[in-house]
This record gives sequence, C-alpha cells and structure tokens, in this order.
Amino acid sequence: MMGRRRDMAREAQGAVLALAAALCLAGADRAGAKTIRVHPVETPSLQARVERGELPPVIARLPAEPAIVEPDTPGRHGGELRLLMSRSKDIRYMVVNGYARLVGYDTDYTLVPDLLRAVEVEDGRVFTFRLRAGHRWSDGHPFTAEDFRYYWEDVAGNDLLSPTGPPVDLRVGGKPPRFEVIDAHTVRYSWDKPNPFFLPALAGARPLFVYRPAHYLKQFHARYADAETLARLVEESGQRNWAALHNRLDNQYKNDNPDLPSLQPWVVATRPPSERFLFERNPFYHRVDLNGRQLPYIDRVVMNIAGARVIPIKTGAGETDLQARGIDFSDYTFLRQSGKRNGFTTELWETAKGAHMALYPNLNHTDPVWRELLRDVRFRRALSLAINRHEINQVVYFGLALEGNNTVLPYSPLHSPRLQTAWATFDLARANALLDEIGLTARNGRGLRLLPDGRPLEIIVETAGESSEQTDVLELVHDGWLAAGIKLFSKPSQREVLRNRVFAGSTMMSVWSGLENGLATADHSPEELAPTSQQQLHWPKWGQHFETRGKAGEPPDMATAQRLLALNRAWRAARSAEERTAIWREMLEIQAENVFTIGLIAAVPQPVVIDDALRNVPRKAVYNWDPGAQFGIYRPDIFWLADDRRRAGY
Amino acid sequence: MSAPDGKSAAAPLEHWVSPAPFDPGAVETLTAEQERYYMAPVWLVMWWKLKRHRLAVISGAVLLAMYLSILVSEVLAPYDLHSRNTDFIYAPPQQIHLFHEGEFVGPFVYGFAYMLNMDTLKREYAENPTDPQPIRFFCLGDDYEFWGLIPGRFHLICPAEGGTLFLLGTDRLGRDMLSRIIYGTRISLTVGLIGITVSFILGIAIGGAAGYYGGRVDDVAMRLIEIIRSFPELPLWMALSAILPVTWSPLVVYFGITIILGLIDWTGLARAVRSKLLALREEDFCTAATLMGASPRRIIGAHLLPNFLSHLIASATLSVPTMILGETALSFLGLGLRPPITSWGVLLSEAQNINVVALYPWLMLPVVPVILLVLAFNFLGDGLRDAADPYK
Amino acid sequence: MLAYTVRRILVMIPTLLVISAIVFTIIQLPPGDYLTSYIAELQSQGESVDSAKIEFLRKEYGFDRPLVEQYAVWLVGLVQGDLGYSFEHSLPVAEVVGDRVYLTMLVAFATILFTWVVSFPIGIYSATRQYSWGDYGLTFLGFLGLATPNFLLALVLLYLANVYFGTSVGGLMDPQYIGAPWSWAKLGSVLAHLWIPVVVIGTSGTAGMIRRLRANLLDELQKQYVVTARAKGLPPGRLLLKYPLRMALNPFIADIGNLLPQIISGSAIVSVVLSLPTTGPMLLSALRSQDMYLAGSFLMFVAGLTVIGVFLSDLALAALDPRIRLEGKALK
Repeated sequence: MMGRRRDMAREAQGAVLALAAALCLAGADRAGAKTIRVHPVETPSLQARVERGELPPVIARLPAEPAIVEPDTPGRHGGELRLLMSRSKDIRYMVVNGYARLVGYDTDYTLVPDLLRAVEVEDGRVFTFRLRAGHRWSDGHPFTAEDFRYYWEDVAGNDLLSPTGPPVDLRVGGKPPRFEVIDAHTVRYSWDKPNPFFLPALAGARPLFVYRPAHYLKQFHARYADAETLARLVEESGQRNWAALHNRLDNQYKNDNPDLPSLQPWVVATRPPSERFLFERNPFYHRVDLNGRQLPYIDRVVMNIAGARVIPIKTGAGETDLQARGIDFSDYTFLRQSGKRNGFTTELWETAKGAHMALYPNLNHTDPVWRELLRDVRFRRALSLAINRHEINQVVYFGLALEGNNTVLPYSPLHSPRLQTAWATFDLARANALLDEIGLTARNGRGLRLLPDGRPLEIIVETAGESSEQTDVLELVHDGWLAAGIKLFSKPSQREVLRNRVFAGSTMMSVWSGLENGLATADHSPEELAPTSQQQLHWPKWGQHFETRGKAGEPPDMATAQRLLALNRAWRAARSAEERTAIWREMLEIQAENVFTIGLIAAVPQPVVIDDALRNVPRKAVYNWDPGAQFGIYRPDIFWLADDRRRAGY
Repeated sequence: MSAPDGKSAAAPLEHWVSPAPFDPGAVETLTAEQERYYMAPVWLVMWWKLKRHRLAVISGAVLLAMYLSILVSEVLAPYDLHSRNTDFIYAPPQQIHLFHEGEFVGPFVYGFAYMLNMDTLKREYAENPTDPQPIRFFCLGDDYEFWGLIPGRFHLICPAEGGTLFLLGTDRLGRDMLSRIIYGTRISLTVGLIGITVSFILGIAIGGAAGYYGGRVDDVAMRLIEIIRSFPELPLWMALSAILPVTWSPLVVYFGITIILGLIDWTGLARAVRSKLLALREEDFCTAATLMGASPRRIIGAHLLPNFLSHLIASATLSVPTMILGETALSFLGLGLRPPITSWGVLLSEAQNINVVALYPWLMLPVVPVILLVLAFNFLGDGLRDAADPYK
Repeated sequence: MLAYTVRRILVMIPTLLVISAIVFTIIQLPPGDYLTSYIAELQSQGESVDSAKIEFLRKEYGFDRPLVEQYAVWLVGLVQGDLGYSFEHSLPVAEVVGDRVYLTMLVAFATILFTWVVSFPIGIYSATRQYSWGDYGLTFLGFLGLATPNFLLALVLLYLANVYFGTSVGGLMDPQYIGAPWSWAKLGSVLAHLWIPVVVIGTSGTAGMIRRLRANLLDELQKQYVVTARAKGLPPGRLLLKYPLRMALNPFIADIGNLLPQIISGSAIVSVVLSLPTTGPMLLSALRSQDMYLAGSFLMFVAGLTVIGVFLSDLALAALDPRIRLEGKALK
C-alpha cells in the first residue's frame, strides 16, 4: 500500500514537472469544435492528502483532455448530499445517478461521449472508441484499452465467468463483434450488420459495462493470479471457486465492493450491510468546470436506508437534500406544506412512461368466448371509449396528467395528437353502438350485457395489489363501463402470482404501467410495440414465442400483430434515419388504431424534493429510468451547495 | 316411660311437645330474598353477579346495538357504499348546527365548497353560512340493494335534497366516511365469529383429549401446541394467505382468512382446557361416572366441560378482539381483505400514510369503533369471567 | 428430576425437526422462488432480464433441484452451524442478521420492562380496590393500549414526535450516529427514538398482564392464609407483598418462554412502520422475496430460542412445583 502511494507520488511529481511549463489543461468543448483552456484548482477537501503525498495534485489527477463542463451556475467545492433509499441494494443507484458513461445522453437525449474522448461510428456497425489520455481509475491506476481487452477476452470470453457468452446487446444476428485494440487509448468493435442497440446500451441507466478495472480483478482471475494465493483468497471468501469470487467482487452496477476501482463521481466507502452508506468523491474524476474545479462539487454523498413507508415522512421532515424515489404525487401537498417549515422546495417533474396506468386485455386468454371477444378490435375500442379519462385526471391528478392512449409523449418527435386521442375520448354513445354492432345486445335484469353464451359481461381486472391508486382509478373506470353495460371487478393479487397468471392466459385483463420509453425517437428500438417479450401483458404467449425463438408460447395469429413483428425486424435492418422513422410511425399508428392496450393517463407528475441550498438542479425536467437514469442526465456532479456552513461540513 | 317393675308409675315427667305440624324450615328460616337466591338456576345467579359489574353491562348493551346494526346498515348509512362525489374529495367533517342566524331551525349543516390552493394542490373547504341544509330523517335518499337483494331508498338520515351530509368527512374519491364505517361493521364484526368457532372447536377437542387421556396423547398435543406457539405469527399468516387461490371470490377469501386466524389462535384455549381437565378428572364425580359406565366423550362433554363453561365463554369473548385486531393487521400487511371490500381494517390500512395523519386526520376515525368494540368485548369478557363462578 | 430433564431434552430434538420442516414448507409455499420474485421486481422497474442468465443462476443456486433435496442441504448446513447465504443481500445470513439481533433484544427488553413497570401497580391496585372507579379507570387506560391498532398508533406518534420534539423520523437513532462510536449524545438519541416502539408495543401487553395479575391476586387474596395473617395483625402492605404477590407471579415465569415469539411478531409490524433496524422488517422482506436461507435460518433461530425458553421455564416450574413433575400420567 505505502509502496504504491509512493510510486503514485513520484509519478505525479514527474507529470507536474513535465507540464510545469503549461500549468493548464486543454480540452474540447461538447461540440469538439474549439479548444478551451482551464486552470485547475485544487479541491479543498483533498488538499491535505495532496500535501502528504498520498494523492497527486489536481493537474495530474485529471486526464490530459478532461471533459470541460459549463454548468448554469459555477459551483464551489464542499459539503455532503443526503439521500434516502428504501433498501440497501439501492446503493446501485449511485451508479445510475453518477452517470459516468462511455457515451451518455445529454438533456436533449442525444448521445454524446462522456468517459470517452470521441466515438466514431461507421455505417452503424463499426464503433471506434477513443479514450482520454491520462484518465485514471479511482485508485490512480490508468484507464486504458487494457481494461476493455480484459473484459472482452478474460470476462466475456471466459467460459467460467460468462457461461452464456457475451451479453445480448453485443450480438447482432447472434454473432459477437470483432474486437480490436488499436493502441493504448483506442479500441474498435465491428459487426457485419448495424447494431443500433450498442450505444443506447452503453448510455443506459443500468449500462452495459464493456470495461473492467483489469489491474484489480486480475488478482482474482485464474489466468493471471498466482494459483496458491488465489486458492487462499477463494477459501477465505467462502465462495465455491475463483469464478464465483471474481463475479462476486466484479459488480460495477451493484456497487457493493468498496475496493473495486470506479470511474463514477462518487465511490462507495461503506461495506454492506449497513443502514448508512457513504460515497466519497473520486479524486481522479474526468470532468472539470470552466473555473478549473474538478467535479464533483459535493465531497460526499450520504445514503440513509429507511423503510419505504417512512421515506415520505422523512423527506417532509427535511432529512434529505434531493429525493424523488419513494415519494409520489399523492405526497405532494404534504411535502409542499412541510417544505416551507423545513427548508426545501418540491418541484413537479414529468414522468416519461407512455402511460402511467394502462389496461391490458389478454389476447391469449384461455376462455374461448372471452378470447374471441377480446380479439375483436371493436370491443377494445368500445371499452376505451367508455372510460372518462377526464374525470380520472381531475379526481386523482388535479388535471395535471395527460389523458389519452398508451403511446409516445408529446416530447417525442414521433408524437402526433391523433395517436394520443384515437379511440380515447369519452363517448358513451359510440361505445354502446360498437357493442351493439358486435352483437352484444342481450341484457340481463340489471342492465348488464350478455355474452353469446348467456354469461353476463363481467370483466375481472387483476392488479398486483400494491397501490391503492390503481384501485381508485379502477373504481372510476367501473362507473363508465357500467353505463355501457359492462361490469368491472377488480381483483388484487400478488405481483408474481399476477404475472404467472397472465403468462398462463388465466387472466382476462390486468393493470400495469404503459410504454417504458415514452420519449422514444426513431433511433430507439420499437420492440415494445411488437410482441417480443413475455412480459407484455396483453400478448404474453406471442411474446414468449419470440423470446424463446419458437420453443415455447404461440406464434401470433393476428395479421396486425404479425405486421408489427415484421416491422420490428425491418427496423433492425434499417440503415437510414428516414427508414426508421417511417417504421416507427406505422407501428404507432397500428397500435393506436387497434387499441391493444387501453391507456388511461400519462405524464403523471413526479414530485422532486430539492433542498433550498442545492443549486444546478433543474426546476422542471423529466424523471425517467431509461433514457434519463433518474437524475443522471442532469449530472449530479454539477450540483453544489450554496450554503457556506454546509460546504464547510456543518 | 314405664317404671322398671311395670307397676303403678309415678306422674310422667313434665315435657312439652309442640302440637304444630312439622316444618322442616323452622331451624333456619329463609327470607324471601334468600329463598329466591338459593332456588334460582345457575344462569340467573350468574346474571345477577354480572349486573354488579356495571362496565360489563354497558359493554354488553353496546355490543348488542352494534350487532343489531349490521342487519340494517343500508338504512342507517346516509349514503350508499359506492356513491362518490367528485366535488367533495377530502372534505372535512361537517358540523351539525341547531341555530341559524339566531333562530332554531332544527339540525342542519351548512353547504360548503372548495377552493384549490394552487401552491400546495390542496382542496380548501369553506362553509357557506348562508346555505343551511336541513338534515332529513326517515327519508328517501341514495338507492341501495338491501343485503344485495332488495332495492330500496329508505334511510334513517339523509342529506338535504341536492345537499351534502358528511358527518365524518370524505375520502380521496369523495365517499362518505360515516357510511363506509357503517358498512364496514358488517365484515369486521363477523370476521371474529367464524374464527372463534374454528379455534373453539380445535381448542376444546385437542385440549380436552390431552387433558382427559393424558400420557402419549397429551405429549403429542403439548408438542404440537409448543410448535405452533413458538412460531412468530407473521410467517404463518403470510404462508397461509399465499395458499388462498386468487380465483376465489372476495367473500370466500374473507372466510378463508377468518379460518386462518382461527387455526392459529386455538393454542391458548387448548392449554387452559387441558390443565383444567387434568385437575378435574381426579374428582369424585368423574370417577363415579366412569364406574357407572359412561363413555369418555360423555364424561368430557356432559360432566367436565360444563364445569368451566363459564371460563370458555369468557375466553371466547376475550378472543374476539384478537381476531378483529388480527384482521386489521393482516389488511395492513396486504394479506387480508383488500379494497374494494370495505372493512374497518381496510379503511385503516388506507389511512396508513403520512398524508392522512398530517392533512386529513378524519380518515383515521375508523379506529374509534375498533377501540370501542375491543374494549366492549374485553369488559364483557371480564364481567362474564367474574360472574362465571357465582358461588365463589 | 434428572429423568424429567433428559426426557424433555430428547423430546426437543424431534420438535425442532418438525419445526424446520414446517418453516421450509412455509417459505416455499407461495408460488415461485427467489428468482421469480427478483425477475418480477426487475421488470416492474423497467429493467430487462436476460433469461439465459436467469437459467444459469437458477442452476447455481440450486433452485432446479427437487424441494426435498433443497431442504436436506439447508438442514445439513444448519446442523453444522452454517446459516446459509442471503440472495437478496448477497451476504452470508449471519452477517445480515448480525447487529439486528442485538437491537431487537434491546427493544424487546425495554418493552418487557415497560410492561411490567406499568402493569404491576395497576394490577395490584385493581385487585385490592375491586369495582371502584379507580379500578375501572385504570383498567380502561390499560385496555386502551390493547385496543388501538399498533400500526396506526406508531405512525401518529412518529409524526407527532417529529413535529413537537424534533426527533428524526424512524430508526433507533439519528442518522449521523449510525456506525459512530458510543457517546452520551448517541445514547440520548437512542432513548429519544426508543420510547415510541416501547410505548406502542408495551401498551398492548399491559392489558393482558394487568388482567392476569388482577385475577391471580384476587384468587390468592381469598385464601385462608391471608385471612389468618390479617387476623394476626400483619400490616396490609406487607401482607400483600410478602405472600400473595409472590404466588401470583408464578404464571409470569411460565410465560416468559412464550414472550419471545410474541415480541418478535408483535414488533414486526411496528418495526416496519417505524423503520427500525430490527429483525422484523428483515424477516418480512425475506419472506416476501422468498429469500430462503435468510428467512428459514432466522425462523429456526427464533423457534429454537422459544423451544429452549419453554424448556427452561418448565424446568424452573418443575423444580418449584412437584405436581408438574408428576403430570401427564395416563388415566387408569
């Protein structure tokens, strides 16, 4: 340990001497157009360690070409940020929110290189990554192409560590890429066909990690470590073999190993299990602001683990500085009132799911009469027309949500008003007319329509039983459907039980949230719109058929569903943006016309609590998982505390 | 008495014999009161002793009233269970006034409306002092289906025409809390009864067998009791609730849950029965019955059990509150009854969040009938137990 | 005496075995296993799941083996002292449970202490002044604690403590003291947080204890020796405390063995509401996610403690009361 520090110090001194002439750093701005020069300033909290020789000075800690950032208000170093999470597993959200990615989304959802200096894409299938010279891991060791090679050959390519081979996102048509190390700071991945998933996967909330801290992990790899030492380590750890030990320690997303070097702005410093996790600043972080301050501004993040039910109360009591997880719209009033007393504001950010809540008629339902009916597009349209979305919006969301279909949101370039309102207005007359047209004219004594075999038209909607919000909305839907002669029964259940029932076709209809990515652009995969996954609650068996390549489930037997699958395939092979856009538009149109899912409301506001002293947090923004990484794309490393006492640590 | 030689006797000794007819009660005359007491059947004596315990009597009356109210919930509630009013969401309780502008008008409430506070998105209600809405009694209001069968509209108390009567406020969908609590009584009050029956049958059967036969039967029973008691209730509840199939209708699920509660609760009673029987079976009357050829079942059923029937009754009344609180706990965990079924437990678990505690505290009012019920059962049980051994 | 002890110890072993089988069944009863609940959770967050990886994990963790085999593996591990591995936390069970057990015991002992301190005076007063208004009033107060649903009371107290006393919400101490060394400030913080769970859980227990104490004491006070002692002129205070109270305490000693599972169960709900770092919430989440080893080993631990506790209290009673030793003889 001491030896390594001395080495680092010597190395740092050498670097300082070499750069003595030009005590500044040059970097490119975002567009890569002009070179900006910044004069790095030492971080106060690291000053002591630098003087002791434990850390090199800031100029040597930053890469030769750092990422230069211009935040809204230039910040100052210091302080700690308090967060609340509900489970100790949630330390992974520091990787999500730290959002240091090879390529990441910026606030307009365009992909820009972040950890990488530059990315060159040729033909959508050859990706050349250029690293930053002098970029180091959080323990000071250089970050080079070796880290990518180690991953490719010794992790993804090792049968014991990855028995299923490289991850799905690295395979096109089942084939892995050709990986080349061009030089110490350049690597290249080449496929024969375009891989549109690669860059979005690298920019994801839970990213694809194609690199590893090789210098750290090699000591746990049978190919590099001394056999005897490795055997001893395996035994001490209680794991079964070296592969299990390696996998256990190599968890960049799980973030539970304080010894694992990282490239994120804050590095976990507490070993689980704990109720309180500390994340200390990464001294070798690659971003710096125009004033020469190395990011992040905030020295430390403190994550307190509290039960999910208690988080709104703790937030209201002012025990957190930045919070969005664990609080929802129904807590807004309480938080607004408490904020005045306890020094924080509560903003409302937008959520980006295609629908906050949607009904999923199960087209693979086992009961033949019901299946027939649910597959009839007129029935689904009638159900959608008989719902008073406006009332739902007013009653539950104060009119702040967006009524309409489960489709892309207005931010998306693919959006059109027609997509949102097709068959989604409240029109009881038309709904009744459609139901009569299908032939469901017989009614029983209570005014309910009857199925062809005489049973009353009672739809059982099964929920995961986790939110009273769903039950409330279903109550409102119930009244609308009753006016059309249909009775709704809501049946709460458990999440897995519900899923199993849906997959087996036992449920008639279920409730869940809508499209994951309501901000989709033509460059995102449209697979959510086609039967590609068993998790799609409206056609689980068709989705399963696709997922397992025909080994299980059933092939889609509806022309529209087949068309969607064909379009999905076409998108993957598409080479131009126009082609992809056209495919998307057609798929969205098919979805809107056929009402495969009955969207209720979307864009439900998400309360975000921001401490009064915290700056550079956008007041109005979008809170989404992918793309968005919760706070990720807004870069928490530029958040800073404007209160002198708090920065000094009080 | 004749003289020893049988000849002419001296005069007989002076003695006096009362000529009055024989009266067996002359030794100890009972007053009319005492006579009534000694000749009274056991249950009458128990009743007298119970009456002494004033709290128990009051509790009994309250319980009786609550149980009778179940029969006519639809009539008692001012609104129907599902009727909601989107203009009056989260409305606070309305006060009943008697005097409007100095004149006696009769019970009425003031109409009110809300303003939306755009900063906190809170509905702020203000009374309108110029709009008195007299409360109607024995009126026609919301329609309902009496016990789900007979449609009707007759209510004991209803709001004025076109007006509102939210005596305990409304919830997040604009449903009247008082009506929901009244309807919830049906489920909450009966959930205990079925559970009690199950736990009774199990407790008496197993405890009785263990106490009477002793030996191996007792060992096995005691181990079984020990096993069940050494379990934290939580996992048992969760596991048993997981067994209940989702396809069952809510009503059947509800029965299932009460049976689950009963299955876990019988051990205390079994232990008490067992220890009592262990003592009693050595008594003479039991030996006599055995010698006379009575079967064990008859001995237990006809001779031993009645001796502490009182204790059993007291036990029963004291177990009902456990069932009711168990139901509320299960609802809290999401295992028991869930919306759209309405019971006090469901209402309380819906009230279990900070927004209610801080902003809409009237939604916690279902706790009042729970407390009343539990207290009533406890006091009644105490009184019954005190009265159980009237000759003490 | 020795024969009785040996007999009871020998009986404990099959009891624990049966308990272990029941525990295993209970955890496996809900459909699916840890991986299915893990997948469901991932999907509800919008994360995609690699089904090949899941299959691999299923083999790794042994979920594809028959249930009996999984049970045997776990049991063998238990006997050797290996509590197993928690999937949810990716840590050995012993580490996860670790500190929480101490905190649970802290809360449990504080609660028991509170219960006794409150119920003894009330019980004694109730018994000696039967049917008075004081009797009614105090029992009413005691029962009020029993009648209020714990979770609601806990939430209300939590909120009020924060608004009026500034106590930080939930947990057993202010967040900055977690992991910090013990100091007076830390102790003060713990006490400021401890009173809520102790009051909430304790008040439910006081009612039962008051009632039992009252009943037992009433029984004792009517016995001959008390009358004799009073006739002989013993002062009433001494009269009450020296003999009847000691006899009335008999059932409490018997009860201690059963106290543990009650406290753990009763406090699980309150601990969830108050977000206490005790074993209750851990058990609840382990059961929900079907984290087999964590839930199973912990339940076995609790059940084992109880069985031993019952055994010890029975032993104590047998030493005191010869009738119990001779109990259970079959009917002739």
